[in-house]
Amino acid sequence: MENPQQSQDVRIVRATSAFDCGGRCPLLLHVKDNKIIRIEGDDHPDSDRQLRTCLRCRAYRKYVHHPERLMHPQKRVGAKGEGRFERISWDEALSILSGKLKETKDKFGPESILLMTGGGYLASLHSGSMAAPRLLNQFGGYTTHYGNISSEGAVWASLVQYGSVMVGHSREDMLNSKLIILWGWDPARMISGSNTMHHLLKAKENGAKVISVEPRYTDTAAAVADKWIPIYPGTDTAMMAAMAYVMITENLQDQAFLNKYTIGFDKFKEYILGDEDGQAKTPQWAEAVCGVPAETIADLAREYAAAKPAALMDCQGPARSAMGEQYCRFAATLSAMTGNVGKPGGSACGGLMGIPIGHMFRMSAIPPGKNPVEMTGPKIKGTLDIRDRVIKRIHINKLWEAILEGKAGGFPADVKMAWSMCNNYLNQIGNANKGDKALKKLPFFAVNEIFMTAQARYADLLLPVTTAAERSDLTYAWPSGPYYTFVNRAIEPLGECKSDLEICEMLSDYLGVKDYRLGAKEEDILKHMVDQNPVTSKYVTDFDKFKNDGIHRIELKEPYIAFRKQIEDPENNPFDTPSGKIEIYSQRVADINSPKCPPVPKYIPTFEDRNDPLFEKYPLQLLTPHPRNRVHSEMYKVEWLREAEPHVLWIHPSDAEARGVSNGDDIQAFNDRGRVAVQAFVTQRIKPGVVCMFEGAWYQPDENGVDRGACANTLTKDDYSGGGAAVMNTSLVQVAKA
Amino acid sequence: MQMGFYFDQTRCTGCNACRVACKDWNDVPEGPEAWMQVKYLEQGETPDVFVAYMLQTCFHCESPICAEACPADAITKRPEDGIVLVDRNACLGKEECGAKCLKACPYQAPQFGPEPGAKMGKCVFCTDRLAQGKMPSCVEACYTRALDFGPLDELQKKYGQAVEAPSFKYSKRTKPSVVMNPKNPK
Ligand code: SF4
Ligand code: SF4
Ligand code: SF4
Repeated sequence: MENPQQSQDVRIVRATSAFDCGGRCPLLLHVKDNKIIRIEGDDHPDSDRQLRTCLRCRAYRKYVHHPERLMHPQKRVGAKGEGRFERISWDEALSILSGKLKETKDKFGPESILLMTGGGYLASLHSGSMAAPRLLNQFGGYTTHYGNISSEGAVWASLVQYGSVMVGHSREDMLNSKLIILWGWDPARMISGSNTMHHLLKAKENGAKVISVEPRYTDTAAAVADKWIPIYPGTDTAMMAAMAYVMITENLQDQAFLNKYTIGFDKFKEYILGDEDGQAKTPQWAEAVCGVPAETIADLAREYAAAKPAALMDCQGPARSAMGEQYCRFAATLSAMTGNVGKPGGSACGGLMGIPIGHMFRMSAIPPGKNPVEMTGPKIKGTLDIRDRVIKRIHINKLWEAILEGKAGGFPADVKMAWSMCNNYLNQIGNANKGDKALKKLPFFAVNEIFMTAQARYADLLLPVTTAAERSDLTYAWPSGPYYTFVNRAIEPLGECKSDLEICEMLSDYLGVKDYRLGAKEEDILKHMVDQNPVTSKYVTDFDKFKNDGIHRIELKEPYIAFRKQIEDPENNPFDTPSGKIEIYSQRVADINSPKCPPVPKYIPTFEDRNDPLFEKYPLQLLTPHPRNRVHSEMYKVEWLREAEPHVLWIHPSDAEARGVSNGDDIQAFNDRGRVAVQAFVTQRIKPGVVCMFEGAWYQPDENGVDRGACANTLTKDDYSGGGAAVMNTSLVQVAKA
Repeated sequence: MQMGFYFDQTRCTGCNACRVACKDWNDVPEGPEAWMQVKYLEQGETPDVFVAYMLQTCFHCESPICAEACPADAITKRPEDGIVLVDRNACLGKEECGAKCLKACPYQAPQFGPEPGAKMGKCVFCTDRLAQGKMPSCVEACYTRALDFGPLDELQKKYGQAVEAPSFKYSKRTKPSVVMNPKNPK
């Protein structure tokens, strides 16, 4: 049989992708004639230790070489949002963009320039999220957004409780657990770091009992869980409160641990026992709220308190909701009550699971400098009060309202133009139909993009960007390494594509910004970044070897355990909180003095929950989790991936039957924000009263406003919780046959 | 010698990495032709649901009924390792012979593209990779290590003799070369 792989002209290039997922899995790209023709995974000699890549990167070449990639600069010729463009030269494109930037700054001030970055491409050098801020800072400033769509609730909770976002254990540590509670965690789908699922399976095979608490029976639960406890979205904290109630009233909590390492347990106890509000948080009370039988709640509380060590794994799905930070704080509190923080086989919770070795949060980047527009105003570093953060910046999930309402609506600026890169926010933040209105109203919109995404269709000016395969870079795993990866450029840029950094460099000439260009070769900059970074420089001592191997693995003698030092030797290692302890009660939060931010974690009813009057009209709660075949909205166009899993809406047979819906039917899901057309997947794998549609499918409204692409965010609310979590999982909808 | 697959159904999460990796290595275009597919089984009622996945590929049967069924003798079993291969040049195309191999195969392994006259394609056990001492692409891709491969007798020694599993019926007539670790409802 013919074997092109053997032929002389095939090069093997070691790289990773840089999608917004937790992988950074090593890839061996087979390249011939400037084309990736095949892909292999990690070739570590020990197959058990290979960092195996998921289906998405297995289809990477179909993404890089997709026929619909943008190849040339273009300007709009049709109406806004219509998606009709004409090819122009780079010179014309950069003249238009620089002209608009100058005109806007001169007429309306730099704050009326909105920069939208983030999400799409996560590496060190070529991510527009550093290049463009650096350029605009030198140019005079801009307005931007605050907050991460996925993790804000978890970050806030971890900072409150622990004073640190590095709350994870390295994956091997799951082998030490007797009980693993998956609470909103589905690593089979969202990866959570290469090999996470493999280690979870090993932990189960090693005898750990696994319980899944979640409105859906996830792929992970189907593979490993001994038991599935279906719960209503947004009510996790009620169930957690009842678990605390059982532990307290049956004296099951690890009081010695609480005394030694935490503050505020007494205040929390007052809330749980009802001394504070007259409502004891009994399992019976919780059952009515969360739909889990009281006995099941009590059993789980007893089991969790007795199993030592036990890992409660909370993740970011439930944290992307109107009670997001409460859920992560509650989980961390239960973990302290059971004495599982800082212990092998335990978990600290906090929803982030990151370890400080090889983590994206510690990666090198081009220094962006300071934004002149943000020089005045409150100091926001370290603040927990979200109100301080939205004086100069716009909350990410309020971008559309900010564009529509401007200063009159209480936002920091009247936006006159926007420039976007590395994101598809029209698709990925709440309320896409409001986004449609905002982008149509926006006087000028420039977009750096790889594909004609839902958002790119609204551009006035389109700048084509290279993929990670067309540039060299450094990537960092998240959340749980531990390894560093080097992206070797596999192919020369296709068409007229350029990286965000190159675009900014060219634009700096048109803007007359001096000293913007980094002035060194790509590889020299990357070497410098490795050498200068305090973490990488410690581990990566041979840059050339790192580059040739494409990966540097860090050999841990034993699993990394969050807060191990703080627990083993508290005198010398206080927690990085004001009290130096785990703060179950937080004075910093009390000082915010907002009912949305109670100083101890609480169950707080939210808008669009089952008690909202809107529930009568829209009686189904919508979940919008990670898809398996895309990274958010990236890779949506790749046919190999689309055929691996069609885009559907999960609905329970009882809810389907009540609506005359059968499996595979064309249906519509809708609420006051919009309407999507999708297929029904009728399944017992979801709690009655809940439906689920994976996020990231591209928004595609037809002439009647029905979203034929079935973007989940056509239905979600554009709002945030008390701690700043974007509320993607707090939406009520109705479903009907199409 | 007979090559075969091992499938640990208890580890499979239905992720489809095997399917995509197979398409990538063997350059199978987008569309319905997929030499490796993942079937879905769901039973029971909330919250006692049972979900299992099953691979649908060619199991390189000891008695490949597909070869017998092919009027053009396009399908042969390699004597040295029992791998069943199709000669796409000899294949008559799906309309002309009526996809007799597909009708005969108990596992729907033979695949056809959507184009008229599409020739049969199916799992080739990544023979080019085997020749280089590598794992088949699907096996290398499986991030849960639910897949293994090797001489059938070695697989049996390592993993036992189980051949039945939910969503899979062992055909006594064709004798597929596979060892299963079945996932059974609790
Ligand atoms: S599985 Fe089907 S196609 Fe493969 S050898 Fe057996 S009968 Fe033939
Ligand atoms: S062995 Fe090769 S050809 Fe066969 S299913 Fe696996 S990847 Fe595809
Ligand atoms: S790659 Fe492995 S886990 Fe994924 S569907 Fe295939 S066999 Fe199952």
